[in-house]
Amino acid sequence: MIRLARYLIPLFVFLGMCVFLYKGLYADPTIRKSEVLSKPFPVFELPDLEDVQILHTNEIFDGKVTLVNVWGVWCITCAIELPYLTALSENGLTVVGLYYDQDIDPNFGTKTLTRVRQEVAETVSRYGNPFAFNIFDVFRDTALDLGVTGAPESFLVDENGVIRVHHLGDINPRVWRQKFSPVLNEIAPSIEASIALMNDAITGAQAGIGEGVSGE
Amino acid sequence: MSKKPVLKGLSKFVRSVGVCMSVCIGVAAFTLCTPAFAQNSDDVGQAALIQQTELNPQSQPQPGQTPAGLQERPKQEYAENYVFVDAGKRREFLELTAELRCPKCQNQNIADSDAPIAHDMRRKTYELMQEGKDKSQVIEWMKVRYGDFVHYQPPVNAVTIWLWVLPVLFAVLMLVFFILRRKPDIEQDIESKLARADQMLKDD
Repeated sequence: MIRLARYLIPLFVFLGMCVFLYKGLYADPTIRKSEVLSKPFPVFELPDLEDVQILHTNEIFDGKVTLVNVWGVWCITCAIELPYLTALSENGLTVVGLYYDQDIDPNFGTKTLTRVRQEVAETVSRYGNPFAFNIFDVFRDTALDLGVTGAPESFLVDENGVIRVHHLGDINPRVWRQKFSPVLNEIAPSIEASIALMNDAITGAQAGIGEGVSGE
Repeated sequence: MSKKPVLKGLSKFVRSVGVCMSVCIGVAAFTLCTPAFAQNSDDVGQAALIQQTELNPQSQPQPGQTPAGLQERPKQEYAENYVFVDAGKRREFLELTAELRCPKCQNQNIADSDAPIAHDMRRKTYELMQEGKDKSQVIEWMKVRYGDFVHYQPPVNAVTIWLWVLPVLFAVLMLVFFILRRKPDIEQDIESKLARADQMLKDD
């Protein structure tokens, strides 16, 4: 018995290490816990992108659920998610852009605000405009306060101004179902019901296309 | 003790390998414990920043500027230029940017990385230092936003304590195991074998 254990213990240790290392092989090192989740949205006072005289503050969150999308025209993934975000806004979700531009910063070069506005207008006219308005994060301080590491990132903020979902990367029906749907169902069930119907329609249509291809 | 000599040799070998490994792991664990190791960062990135901080002292970021004054801002240089009156402060800035980890890129400090977020974090580090915050306050500011991940020296807490304790524990256990398993009856074994060999010779 003891003799048997002498050979079995190393075997089990080895197998345990195999499982551990195998899991490590497919672990995503970029996944990190968000520090702002379940915390109030950082205090800010920033100008509107279209009219710098208008100042937005945390009051924009009062009384409604808001999806804050951190984006920029230079970011390709942001453009890819614009049509879906537009569909979300059409279903009654307020989408607000937190816009930031690299080129208007001392570190990155010079671009006039007029040029930025022009590029934004071009982009949203091509891919869809989900934004109620764009907040211009001039020095990217609010992005830093939010723990943003790169665009696109999205924050679902409830009517009390508390961040309920922090998502890195683009939003699509799959991501929505996994991350946003359960939370929105809790804080704004009517909007979520409408979005869920739309998602089913999108995936249904995609499945239909898939069948068509496989049937050929 | 009638044990096959091959198996016996094998188990001895495995045991000695085990002891060697545990000693190595123990040494590695203690090396990791020393702060000097954790702060050992890339000198290349630092050198580049030293150059940057020395060149072009006339232009610097102006964090306090209002958004309304955006269009009137003078044309700026592409590279960031951080000016320090106090040499000690500059040293502190270089230390900080070497110690803080870029949250976007895999395993680069913010001095070394060219990711936009690293640029922003360097600028923020500079701003916070200009506001009079010391090293630990700047690190804390970053940690609040980006978690413990952002600092290259992990804090010792209930989760990370095992990084230090486990290897040492393993080494100690192996040592105890090794001492307990040592058998004093090897000589007797040989004597009995010799006796048996003698017997066989006699029989021939």
